[in-house]
Amino acid sequence: MPAVVGVGYYGFNTNTPDMSWKEIMYEAAVRAYEDAGIDPRRDVDSFVTCAEDFYEGFAIFDEFVPDQLGAVVKPTCTVCADFLYGLATAYMQIESGLADIAVVEAHSKASDMKTFGEIIRHAMDPIWLKGVTRAHPYYFAALEMSYYMNKYCISEEAIAEVVVKNKGNAILNESAPYGAKLTVESVLNSPFVFYPMRKIEIAERADGAIVFVVARDEIARKITDSPVWIKGIGWWSETSSYDTRSFEALYAYKAGKMAYKMAGIEVPVKEIDIAEIDDRFAFKELQHIVALQLAGKFEVCELMREGYFSRNGSLPVNVSGGNLGVGNLLEATGAQKSLEVVLQLRREAGRRQIDCELGVAQCWRYIPTASGAVAVFGV
Amino acid sequence: MIDKIVDPEKLRHFPPGGGKIELYWLYTSGKAGNEFFRKLREGKFIAARCKKCGRRYFPPRIFCEFDFSETEFFEISGEGCVEAFTIAKLDLNENPMEEIIALIKLEGTDGRILHLIGEAKDVCIGMKVKPVLKKVDEMTGTISDIKYFKPV
Ligand SMILES: [Zn+2]
Repeated sequence: MPAVVGVGYYGFNTNTPDMSWKEIMYEAAVRAYEDAGIDPRRDVDSFVTCAEDFYEGFAIFDEFVPDQLGAVVKPTCTVCADFLYGLATAYMQIESGLADIAVVEAHSKASDMKTFGEIIRHAMDPIWLKGVTRAHPYYFAALEMSYYMNKYCISEEAIAEVVVKNKGNAILNESAPYGAKLTVESVLNSPFVFYPMRKIEIAERADGAIVFVVARDEIARKITDSPVWIKGIGWWSETSSYDTRSFEALYAYKAGKMAYKMAGIEVPVKEIDIAEIDDRFAFKELQHIVALQLAGKFEVCELMREGYFSRNGSLPVNVSGGNLGVGNLLEATGAQKSLEVVLQLRREAGRRQIDCELGVAQCWRYIPTASGAVAVFGV
Repeated sequence: MIDKIVDPEKLRHFPPGGGKIELYWLYTSGKAGNEFFRKLREGKFIAARCKKCGRRYFPPRIFCEFDFSETEFFEISGEGCVEAFTIAKLDLNENPMEEIIALIKLEGTDGRILHLIGEAKDVCIGMKVKPVLKKVDEMTGTISDIKYFKPV
């Protein structure tokens, strides 16, 4: 079973005006190689980056990759998806015998994007969707929220609790730019931008880069005393059609099942100690907790209110601050989730350290998709 | 602590000129799309039924995505029921605007349309709505040939 033997990251910031996207990738890579104690020019067999051309602002992104990762004249490929899909790719390259050590990278230079709304709009179906409105594509998530709240009687208070919890957790994370001490009342009194969604429930964008070094079993044990095993990984897509999708995160349920099965997990809620899940809109955290079988669909609100998912609760969710606290890291979202789980399992999470041996990281492919991936990590 | 500068141009000594990507495409609406927008000029709505499982698709398409089999078109009323809605107050560039956008379950189908709600004082989930079309000479064969949906 492949293990994570090194991690490095740069960020996370609301802005990075002093560094280019290539330089933040380089910084993260240098730190990851130092952490793993390897030389990329000598030791790494394969490099995988995760990027979307429209997010980068130029075409054929993979062509721009090798130099800043130490990957020149080496096997390199780009996965047009979140980091967790890249991690799955590295996993398969190692398990198939193609590589002993593989590197996975993802980043966000969201602050370089001047027209985020326009870019996301290009992900909408050009015939049936794009021409309907000039509203910011956030509206699409708000529609899903409206559907979800109505179907499962989700309260505004439970969604506000997610914001309070995650922004509160972020205060203990030096790398999280959007931490804040809030109350449920202050959230409920804040303005709507896409009723029933408030502005404060939308994760602001952030910059950052993350690099993982992944190694085959025997090599992992040689390189480090603290390997973090990738016990399970899964990914799943519903459909691109808004008329046939579930609007209740079936993608996360299925990807979770795939990863849990591989990891031999039968009752996730009993076995998982920590979860880092996609909360780029606050309601998504509730939806994803249920999809990952960490709570029942009708009890998730009550558990959230009781503090079950708090840092000191029975099953801490988004101890890092989540996307609401760390920011929307675009394709690096799953990377930040995985990073937190790895740091926690290695007991390197500082003041936010919790007691854990098995963790799950999950990402969604963002608006307007119904796709996502899940990874289970353990020590 | 909540509001942060996210616009990098406010932080730079040398504001970059930036760059833009001018991209233009002809998006082909396909057999099903053409058929729908052509019929819409006659004030008619069509959906598509899977010949194998009977699932009734809206938007119409030529294949069933669940069993990968062919479909046939049939006529529907175009009326439906609000399944979810949002009041959007920010446009693409995060400037103020206001529009009601709804996910509408279309009568006689298993599908939905996503469109605007107009002529409505109030909107709620479960509300019955019907389409308001552009005049035929203003139609362009696009989704905005439907102006909006209004309460029945
Ligand atoms: Zn069928």
